[in-house]
Amino acid sequence: MKNIKRTALSWLVLLLGLLYFMLPLVATFLFSLKGKKGVLSFVAYEHVFADPQFLKTFFFSFQMSIYTVVAGLALIIPTTIWVHLKVPKAKPVIEIFALMPFVIPPIILAFGLIRSYSRPPLALVTTPALLVAGYVIIAFPYIYRSIDAGLRAMDLRALTEAGMSLGAGWFSLLFRVVLPNLRTAILAAIFLTFATVIGELTLAVLLAWPAFGPYMALVGRDLAYEPAALAILSFAMTWGSIGLIQALSRGKARPGTVVAPGLAVMAEETKPTTTRSTTNGLP
Amino acid sequence: MPSSATGRKGARGARPLFGGNALAWLGLIPFFLFAFAFMILPAGNILIGSFQNREGAFTLANFQNLLRPNIVKSYLVTIRLSIVTALIGGCFGLLMAYAIILGGLPKPIRSFLSTFSGVASNFAGVPLAFAFIATLGRVGLVTALLKTLFGFDIYDKGFSLYSFWGLAFTYIYFQIPLMILIISPAIDGMKKEWREASENLGATAIQYWFHVGIPVLAPSLLAAFILLFGNAFGAYATAYSLTGGLINLVPILIGAQIRGDVLHDPNLGYALAFGMVIIMGLSIIAYSWVQKIASRWMK
Amino acid sequence: MKRFGVFILSALIMLTLGSGVFAQSKDLIAAAQKEGQLTVIALPHDWVNYGEMIETFSRKYGIKVNELNPDGSSGEEIEAIKANKGNTGPQAPDVIDVGLSFGPQAKADKLIVPYKVATWDSIPADVKDKDGYWYGDYYGALAFEVNSDIIKNVPKDWSDLLKPEYKGKVALAGDPRTANQAVMTVVAASLAMGAKTPADVNPGLQFFDKLNKAGNFVPIIAVPGTVASGETPITIRWDYNALSNRDKSAGNPNIAVVIPAKGVIAGVYIQAISAYAPHPNAAKLWMEFLYSDEGQLIWLKGYGHPVRFNDMAKRKVIPADLAAKLPPAEAYANIVFPSLAEQDTAKTAIAANWDKVVSVEVMKK
Repeated sequence: MKNIKRTALSWLVLLLGLLYFMLPLVATFLFSLKGKKGVLSFVAYEHVFADPQFLKTFFFSFQMSIYTVVAGLALIIPTTIWVHLKVPKAKPVIEIFALMPFVIPPIILAFGLIRSYSRPPLALVTTPALLVAGYVIIAFPYIYRSIDAGLRAMDLRALTEAGMSLGAGWFSLLFRVVLPNLRTAILAAIFLTFATVIGELTLAVLLAWPAFGPYMALVGRDLAYEPAALAILSFAMTWGSIGLIQALSRGKARPGTVVAPGLAVMAEETKPTTTRSTTNGLP
Repeated sequence: MPSSATGRKGARGARPLFGGNALAWLGLIPFFLFAFAFMILPAGNILIGSFQNREGAFTLANFQNLLRPNIVKSYLVTIRLSIVTALIGGCFGLLMAYAIILGGLPKPIRSFLSTFSGVASNFAGVPLAFAFIATLGRVGLVTALLKTLFGFDIYDKGFSLYSFWGLAFTYIYFQIPLMILIISPAIDGMKKEWREASENLGATAIQYWFHVGIPVLAPSLLAAFILLFGNAFGAYATAYSLTGGLINLVPILIGAQIRGDVLHDPNLGYALAFGMVIIMGLSIIAYSWVQKIASRWMK
Repeated sequence: MKRFGVFILSALIMLTLGSGVFAQSKDLIAAAQKEGQLTVIALPHDWVNYGEMIETFSRKYGIKVNELNPDGSSGEEIEAIKANKGNTGPQAPDVIDVGLSFGPQAKADKLIVPYKVATWDSIPADVKDKDGYWYGDYYGALAFEVNSDIIKNVPKDWSDLLKPEYKGKVALAGDPRTANQAVMTVVAASLAMGAKTPADVNPGLQFFDKLNKAGNFVPIIAVPGTVASGETPITIRWDYNALSNRDKSAGNPNIAVVIPAKGVIAGVYIQAISAYAPHPNAAKLWMEFLYSDEGQLIWLKGYGHPVRFNDMAKRKVIPADLAAKLPPAEAYANIVFPSLAEQDTAKTAIAANWDKVVSVEVMKK
């Protein structure tokens, strides 16, 4: 009985949510079809596709997203694991760093990056690396929070200690125990970073890179129906990219399970009691 | 302070693997180096510029200007908007995340909604503002439907999308998905068996939540809340496109000073940004304090 | 012998100081081509036909034009110069096109350098800096841009906007606290409502107060999308932008552009060369091109009044069909050019008082 009630409520919540999310998209879509007077037509979409800048800028931003994801995960996953395992006292410091990007206006960050890195020997301003670095900073709060949430949900200490007592080296531990358990969190981090970078505007504009965000802004100020078409297209393409990432990662373990069989048993046994106490270790 | 060395009721023993000693901090060097090079250093202007006047001389005038009533009001509005959207977005996001993960819904819905959340979490700024104008504006889709189907003109009744609550309603479009993505790992960690076990022991749903569910989720909920708060606090493109400066948010003011054609007092802009940094810092301190209390409560 | 030498020397000096060196001379062209690139900023392609301007320049001289931040404001252009001071990369602008009031400040801040183009003398004195640091390039008047599919009875003047038939229909094309266009809109309204000089903005603020209280004012920034959808079917923007929008819409929707009967305000934009320009010769060549008859006519094609309009009209170099595309000259008969001082006073007063007139507190009737 309780299950049915819970399922019914879940459906209600889901439908309400979907209504809220879909209506604005439907409204945008309907408006984008008004490119030709009096009839519904896709002419606005034709205009968008006819513009070579559309795909060019999208692919550029797509590339930048991939770099940002790779660089961001490579930097933050080890750091967060390290903090959880070895330097819990550093947690408040990292938390502060993880929230600062929200209050640094992108325009100030962009000008600051230009000022600091436009002279030799650190003349990075002409390479996309500077843009990627800026993006990693912007995406950092989301990546950190995802990974942190993921690490919190698994008993990292128990797993690593168990793994080490089974004779696993650090490398093995990281790739065969920790990361598979972080799958949900890593995917969330990738999705968030990806979406952030694709639409990012200020940094790309001021650092003068042909990115998708500035392209969308430009179309928005000039034309009437194309911006709506562009919004729908960018939504769809970002969706496609994220779906692709999700599909590619489906080969690995499903969330919540652990790869190494021996560990699995131990982890399952210890999880309920130790999960509560893990939360005590937080600042 | 993290009670890593004491007070842990765990199966595994009380001490962290190597203790939080100085050598371990070295492992954080790559991170700190990166953060310094690409965040602290470029943003240093915030600190320096806010103490300078146009000619570059030292002055406290910018901070004095921060105390002007309209600027104080804008900080309050920004904070209020961020808290409101973080709470509403957080609550509904939590409900949705719970619904799709543990609510007995078919599995594909979860991956559909995860993907959607990824996309929607950054659907902000001009496209989002326009989408809501097209939905709930004076000639929006829903407005028109309500008028033709029910004879109900919401604008006549006093509703306006171009208001604080209209803006908040728009903001949660990216707050809810963010919450869903961030809280999902934590909900994943809540095992179905606990719920079943507690029901078998005779606990009601409310008791389950109060004694098991919320305590387990609490740290993640707080962390998610402050993330949502920060997310809304720094956002401005949506507000600017939707309300055209009708609502004074601090990021809009900063933009007006640094890139605007009219006022153009960049140093005041830096001081405003510095104010935001301070507020964020205070929020983090408050958050850490609440975390500590919460963790003590859960023992 | 010595006198002859002095004569030859002074003749040579006079020859070089004449229009020779500063015109689109072979030397300048060669030097610019050697630099190979010009970086411009905040030049949308459909803003007074800059698209054609850039393309023609690039094709004519074979110089690549790097376009930064087309959506940028005058303030951003200035900040871009400041932030890129040591940077010779593509992020540093060579030339800027900013609102009139930014000229003197940029000169005082040493962000721009002087350069007098060949046609210097035919630029009216009241829109140029006497030392050549900055000079006006084109101007336009504020006009009503109306979606005439939705608004059957097109307003002709500012006072018309207050009529009840326009409830929930009038919006600005910017925020008066950040955008030059929006500030000038308030000034224009002020003049229409009886202000004696552009510096007196109180009648204008009162106008918007009335507009707001009547429920006619929609507090969002009007863009082509919202004009087309009917959310902001009446907006006020520069005539060249309104006309260009009209052309682009091609009837979907039909757009009427009306210069108001009273309160016609001119907005002058100025060109200047950045003091830190990575390509100074390309910048100079660009200036020469803009101020040549050819360049000025390209602006005219984009519905902007080029600054040398009167001079060119006198010399009869304006093609008749081009002149016909502009709104009739009588509409501009009472056009007012606010002085720098008047603009500054107006800006400060509007920025300080706008949220008393239109703000969230006020909206909550």
